[in-house]
Amino acid sequence: MDFDFTVITSHARFLGSGIVTTLALSLASGLTSLAAGLVVALARLYGPRWLRPVVVLYIDSMRAIPVLVVLVWTFFALPIVTGLTMPPFAAALLGLTMHLAAYAAEIVRAGIESVRPGQMRAAVALGMSRGQAVRRILMPQALVRMLPAFGSFLSITIKDTAIASVIAVTELMRQSETLAGQSFQPIEVFSFAMLVYFVILFPVTRGVDFVYRRVAYLGRS
Amino acid sequence: MNLDWSVVWQHRDALLAGTATTIVLTVATMAIAVPCGMVVAILRLYAWKPVAALATAYVEFFRNLPLILVVYWAFYVLPILTGVGLSPLATGLSALALNVTAYNAETFRAGINSIRRGQLDAAMALGMGRAQALRRVVLPQAMRRILPVLASTWVSLFKDTSLVSVIAVTELAYVAMQIRAQTFRVLEMLTAMAIIYWLLGYPQAKLVDWIQRRFAVTE
Repeated sequence: MDFDFTVITSHARFLGSGIVTTLALSLASGLTSLAAGLVVALARLYGPRWLRPVVVLYIDSMRAIPVLVVLVWTFFALPIVTGLTMPPFAAALLGLTMHLAAYAAEIVRAGIESVRPGQMRAAVALGMSRGQAVRRILMPQALVRMLPAFGSFLSITIKDTAIASVIAVTELMRQSETLAGQSFQPIEVFSFAMLVYFVILFPVTRGVDFVYRRVAYLGRS
Repeated sequence: MNLDWSVVWQHRDALLAGTATTIVLTVATMAIAVPCGMVVAILRLYAWKPVAALATAYVEFFRNLPLILVVYWAFYVLPILTGVGLSPLATGLSALALNVTAYNAETFRAGINSIRRGQLDAAMALGMGRAQALRRVVLPQAMRRILPVLASTWVSLFKDTSLVSVIAVTELAYVAMQIRAQTFRVLEMLTAMAIIYWLLGYPQAKLVDWIQRRFAVTE
């Protein structure tokens, strides 16, 4: 069997643009779903009573539906409902955020609930409002405890962006698939893609663990 | 917007067959990945150093790859490497099993490690062999922590089976998207697909919550 890895070097810009899109989509959907997840978690914990079942239904539904289905629905079906067509990247960002925000919300909720209730009561007893207590007392402790979970969340986010290839986002997976088909060299191209994903993902999980070990003491109460 | 939901009912047989394939894939993958994951975990923990390192490398590699890439890789590369042409179903099953085995191995390893070393030492001091001590003393205790994680891996796997649709395995997602392409009833078919996944997945997610409460370990 002969391997010819020049197919990688001769299409470096094509694959490079895929890597850039993968990173951009990961970063963008990671940030939007963290922000959305924070709002969802706060709504679940402190929101009005009628809102809570709605939030729980949303979170559990996203745990039940594959991200591929969410992405395909957002890209193909949502424009029929709204009448607005979206470019693939925007649809992927929206679909991934809808899906990942539910996971982020569960991480945030678990982090906040892990802080003993006495902390909240003490803060309120000292005259803080509930909002103040959450912001000043609960959140700083909870954030540190959430760190390891955020590490795996980030790694899930990066892996899920590869599924956006199904709706024609030209990220690394899509570019590799196209190149593999055109060059008839799937082994070289897919092996390269595997290497790139591994090189991106492995340090993410390890790096977050490393940072957590350094700051874990801040989360103790 | 004119919608025609009868298209879903007209294709009920195909959708049902797709749903059945999805369930078969989930069950078959787990049936492979639980014993294999156990073997990999034990190799990692107790085998000769180079073998243990190899097992670790396998687990770390597949845990850090997008599953969809493994699916494509299995579809294009496995036949060339092995010289055996597998059906799309068998290819999809291999890719899923490779992925879930790595996750399960990590689950088993963490579960076994969570049992204090003294338990194994004590069992061996009583004259048990290492394998016997593992089987009779360590694993039964570790199972309480392993089972809830396996349950949530199950739900993830159930959802991840949709990814093998990219290599034309006729499971639910592939079938629904095929019907969409034939009938142009995009909104109806994609919504039906989401609802079927929801109907199957929601009770599973709730069951996992129950298992996690039931087996919660308080230290």
